[in-house]
Amino acid sequence: MTNMIETYHLTKTYSDFTAVSDLNLHIQKGRIYGFLGPNGAGKSTTMKMLLGLTKPTRGTFQINGKSYPKDRMAILREIGSFIEAPAFYGNLSGEENLDIIREILRLPKSSVGEALKTVGLFEHRKRLAKKYSLGMKQRLGLAGALLGQPPILILDEPTNGLDPAGIHEIRTLIRSLPQKYDCTVLVSSHLLSEIELMADEIGILNHGRLLFEGALQELKDWAQRQGLPIDNLEDTFLALIEEDNLKRGGDR
Amino acid sequence: MSLTLEQRKLKRTGFFPAFFIGGLLAASFPILNTAVRPDQFIYQPLPALDILMDANWQMIAMLNLSFLVVGSCIMYHTEFSGRAMQKMEALPQRTGNLFAAKTILLIASLIFVLLLEMASLAFCSYHWFSVDNGFWMDLLKTFGYELALFLPASILVMVIASLCPNMWISLGISVICLFVATMLPTDSFIFSLFPFAMPFQTLTGAPKVSVAPISVLMAAGGETILFGVAEAVLGKIRRNLA
Amino acid sequence: MKFFSYISIELKKIRRSHILWILLIPIVILWIPSIVNSGMNFEMQAEGISPEDNFFIQSFMGLAWFMYPATLVIGTVLLNQTERGNRGILKMLSLPVNPAALCMAKFVVLLMLAAAQMVFMILVYFPSAAIASQMNDYNLMISPFLVLRETGLIYLSSLPMAAFYWMVATCITTPVFSIGIGLASIIPSVLAMNTKVWFVYPMCYPFYMITALQGEMAAHFDTFTIELVPWIPVAAGITIICLAVSCIFFGKSERR
Repeated sequence: MTNMIETYHLTKTYSDFTAVSDLNLHIQKGRIYGFLGPNGAGKSTTMKMLLGLTKPTRGTFQINGKSYPKDRMAILREIGSFIEAPAFYGNLSGEENLDIIREILRLPKSSVGEALKTVGLFEHRKRLAKKYSLGMKQRLGLAGALLGQPPILILDEPTNGLDPAGIHEIRTLIRSLPQKYDCTVLVSSHLLSEIELMADEIGILNHGRLLFEGALQELKDWAQRQGLPIDNLEDTFLALIEEDNLKRGGDR
Repeated sequence: MSLTLEQRKLKRTGFFPAFFIGGLLAASFPILNTAVRPDQFIYQPLPALDILMDANWQMIAMLNLSFLVVGSCIMYHTEFSGRAMQKMEALPQRTGNLFAAKTILLIASLIFVLLLEMASLAFCSYHWFSVDNGFWMDLLKTFGYELALFLPASILVMVIASLCPNMWISLGISVICLFVATMLPTDSFIFSLFPFAMPFQTLTGAPKVSVAPISVLMAAGGETILFGVAEAVLGKIRRNLA
Repeated sequence: MKFFSYISIELKKIRRSHILWILLIPIVILWIPSIVNSGMNFEMQAEGISPEDNFFIQSFMGLAWFMYPATLVIGTVLLNQTERGNRGILKMLSLPVNPAALCMAKFVVLLMLAAAQMVFMILVYFPSAAIASQMNDYNLMISPFLVLRETGLIYLSSLPMAAFYWMVATCITTPVFSIGIGLASIIPSVLAMNTKVWFVYPMCYPFYMITALQGEMAAHFDTFTIELVPWIPVAAGITIICLAVSCIFFGKSERR
């Protein structure tokens, strides 16, 4: 199995703290990789580094055999991304927002409508983005990532701000993507229960360090060996984080 | 392609109405000024265009500069306010293109405003003065000269706006620059090279700098290139620091 | 809730907004060229104005004509944006407060900021004059009483203008537009000042005051006379109307 994304000792330090520390990720082609961690664990920073939105302090990464910053354009052409709070032009309608992205990616006109339909925003496409509800903004951001069916998707907490029905819908959508478009997905969340339902592979991050990487079953086996509770995965996750925090000297 | 894209991003931001109304306002200034007190101008023994430029250009240049400041801020405010800039940087395109397209749009809008103002000067000349043969040539020259002198300031305001995600900071810097330009002594060549002071000069005189127009033009060209390069370098630094 | 506590709340909201820098930096920028070029004050004898008077008047004219109105414009919009930026105003409106009182409290904060800028201006004048005196070996300092009186006059005469900008900023919710209108309205004040009906254009009041003083100081300049009637009634009328309109429109677009 080939790795679509690999990072080598990826580190990002800001003046007073380390957001990401010595991270080695291995994301296999055609799989959904769940990136798990509490708020502020460094998930977004990692994703931003992969997109070249922020520069690593140390370390490198490869995406589909290409490396940053040498192949920036080629890398970005293959990634559909959805980062943090959705980024949009408030003064434009949802459709117009996507149209701008579409032109930059040189995609056919029909792709906008398809993306809007995929995320269930088609009937609101004429409305101004600033008038969208939080959930709709979130869907608009997702549509922007899905536009043109890129081989790699990087999605940062895509279900934030959605209602339960919306969460289920988006989750099912993401779940279906690898089969439908043959793509690789890196999706982050702070809820294990959510990742559990979506991901094939998971990476758990706390305070910038990778605590675990592997398949879900491996996590269960590993947790059992560590003496962590395994009957409820959410508890496993919490215990894992707690233990790590204790190891770090109790500071959070 | 990116030109039409940038133009579309400005929908409903009020950018184009601002330039349109602003242009009308600036163009109406010489007409009002002459209509209110024609006696002060029409008996001067100078060509019509010289008198009009002398009486009105300071005000027009100031207005045009403030349009540039506000225009550049609007352009980058749409990028930064909804974090669209982040999306743009995550797309496979050169960020330099974005800047270039925006700048070209800003300059095109400025040309539109300048054309309105030239039309107004032509109207004043025909209505209140007698016009000789060379008038249209002189008007064309004036248009070209002023456009060239506005270029450094146009690019500089864009550089400032592109560097500050917070619109208030870029606006503050530009307004202070504009203010400094009005405070600088007008008889010094060195001070007149300040990008915001440059557009206040006219072909025929006021403010009186005893330097050939050609050297002013060369200086304008030099500054334009300098700021273009500065944007390329600073943009890179900004992204590396992010 | 007392009006005073409204004001203290408003003052809290502008913490860390760097607004004091916006007020201070222009003052420093204003005085630097004026110190550097202080030698030029000795070439003004033809106009019949003494070098020390000219040194004072040039910088204060620069302040009154553009810098002070411009900082007022930016100040009004900034005060409004702190509310609208993250929709803090929605929270405020859901609390038991009187929107009109909130609006007036913000206006008072604006006046306090304007006063702070005037104090900066005076504070920077004295060292600047001292440095320039040293450089030219000539006493360029004028009587502190005159400096205080003139600054006070500029400040008081700017109140209608501040009210006007406050109205623009509350009614026009797009910040770039309220700023654009504000800045554009400063520029014609020179023109308005030279007409008989200067008193209907509040943006030229402060500049009119300082130009009137220049007329007194310089023997060969036109004098601008300040006649209190109809100026004061008109100014008061404009101020009241502007404030009333801004109180009515404050938070209106958020309450739809």
